[in-house]
Amino acid sequence: MLDLEVAYRSMVRMRAVEEAVQLGVISGEIHGEMHVGIGQEAIAAGIEPLLTDDDAVVSTHRPHLHALVHRVNPVAMLAELFERDGGLCHGKGGHMHLFSPDRDFMCTGIVGASVPIALGYAFARHYRERAGLAVAVLGDGAANIGAFAESLNLAALWRLPVVFLCEDNGYGISVARDAATAGAIERRGEPYGIPGRRVDGTDVTAVYDAAEQAFGQARAGQPALLVCDCYRWSGHYEGDTDHYRAQAEKDAAMTAERDPIQRLRARLIAGRANEDELTEAEAAERARVAEWVAEARAKPSPNPADALSGVFV
Amino acid sequence: MSTATNPALQLNMSQLLSRALEAEMGRDDRIVVFGEDVGGLGGVFGATRNLQRRFGERRVRDTPISEMAFTGLAVGAAQAGLRPVVELMFVDFIGVCLDQVYNQAAKNAYMSGGAVSVPLVLRTAVGLIGAAAQHSQVLSATFAHLPGLKVVMPGTPGDGPGLLLSAIRDENPVVFLEHKLLLKQRAGTARHPGAIDALDQPIPLGQAATVRSGGDLTIATAGWAVQQSLEAASVLADDGIEAEVVDLRSLVPLDRETLTSSAARTGRLLVVDEDYLSYGMSGELIAVVCEELWEHRPRVARHALPDVPIPASRPLEEAVMPNPRTIAEAARRLVLA
Repeated sequence: MLDLEVAYRSMVRMRAVEEAVQLGVISGEIHGEMHVGIGQEAIAAGIEPLLTDDDAVVSTHRPHLHALVHRVNPVAMLAELFERDGGLCHGKGGHMHLFSPDRDFMCTGIVGASVPIALGYAFARHYRERAGLAVAVLGDGAANIGAFAESLNLAALWRLPVVFLCEDNGYGISVARDAATAGAIERRGEPYGIPGRRVDGTDVTAVYDAAEQAFGQARAGQPALLVCDCYRWSGHYEGDTDHYRAQAEKDAAMTAERDPIQRLRARLIAGRANEDELTEAEAAERARVAEWVAEARAKPSPNPADALSGVFV
Repeated sequence: MSTATNPALQLNMSQLLSRALEAEMGRDDRIVVFGEDVGGLGGVFGATRNLQRRFGERRVRDTPISEMAFTGLAVGAAQAGLRPVVELMFVDFIGVCLDQVYNQAAKNAYMSGGAVSVPLVLRTAVGLIGAAAQHSQVLSATFAHLPGLKVVMPGTPGDGPGLLLSAIRDENPVVFLEHKLLLKQRAGTARHPGAIDALDQPIPLGQAATVRSGGDLTIATAGWAVQQSLEAASVLADDGIEAEVVDLRSLVPLDRETLTSSAARTGRLLVVDEDYLSYGMSGELIAVVCEELWEHRPRVARHALPDVPIPASRPLEEAVMPNPRTIAEAARRLVLA
């Protein structure tokens, strides 16, 4: 069941995490390439109530929001993002390669590679006749890699419990979706018998409603494809000059009405929510994230000698 | 059981491997087998024969021609607790799915800081068999160059099962290179028996075998070239040159101790490799030996596939493939120079 106030709090936390990460890039604590999901929060929040402890999530180079909603330890994740020891991967993975096997969460920096790996997590559940599904997160750009087509076929053929969750933020780095993608991504499963839908990915209710159906199908062994429209509010990476998107386009796309958080806030207020209580809740969530960030940043730097160990287990 | 009466001598390496897989699958239900034509056909080279009949389609699955999808699926399944044994029909096909092997399987243990392991085996057929440039490569050095992959290559049918058992039981991704001529070779006709009398015993990875002793030079090699080198060694012996032949059995991990101690004894190292010459195993082994034994000034030579795509026609193929005659010539040059 989607509880809108819970979803609101969750999205506020996501935004606060991503903003803290942006500050970490500016301060130089995070020296590597960094991709944040600002503007895409409603997608993660929309699947959050549907994810169970039995499920796996395989995400992309823009993974933080999915990790948060699959209940990966947020301090351990932030420690990894801030290049500390004592986090998820002890400084060896970084933000595109987060691994939390206790939650069956991982992500990969190679566009599209998440999709077949998610099939493996789904296969293991299917093979063991265990509950649970796998969510293969991909972007609109990844829809054009051959592995996506191969995986749709294989998932359908083997009736794997997998949801293909495509976050269509309109861009693959600088190339607009329509310049790279023919036809409708949500229809790409049809030839394989995989039903697809496209929803407004800034509307958490729309995402939830469609995801509820998709997750239900996948749990019954019918793979499902869900495409969520959103807009990438940041550049491809932090520091991207982003000159390739027209200002008029950005102004039109990045409005309060299309900000998933402000949109939900307005809706809650239009309902019977008390505005002061929402503001308090938001402050409380931001304070919580600030504590996570402080705890993560307080962890020690990795020992350079550890760079040479751990190639094999 | 004495070697002479062992019925396994009548079996070729593909039969020996399928028996080892069958036995191991019987012991460990985490093992699943994927690949093209591994089911009803039992593999184009026969190394998965009978497995689907015994274990069903649930565990032994023909895949579509979708190497990216099924290697990636194996990575996820391994991380989720299974032990996939994946067959890539020809090693040459790695070009279409290398990402999942070298960017995912090989790196995930390290990138996760040890949080995950990827215990999968990628079995694949290598070597010259008259199929030209896209179906004849070995590519062992390509895998050995990429950190995070173990690379195993039996040099005689009798070693196939023991090495495969170790590969399957390893917590790391293992690329298991099966030479086509060994897959078809009956163990009894091989120039050394390997572990034919101990087929159910795992052979530790990183343990080379000195398959012939000699004091004049060391020939270090792997795969089918082990058989070729042993044949060359018997020709050399007629000329009074005694070659020591080291079958590496695995390139990663590399048994540096056996390699360097042999080279230290003989003072000469010839590396024979059916993979390409440049930037390959031959240069690497020579570098290891020269770094280790520089005070002894070892004499070194390499004999590998020249840097050309492998041609189709038999006379052309024979012109590029190391064979006992060319190996013996290379050895003579090294010893007599």
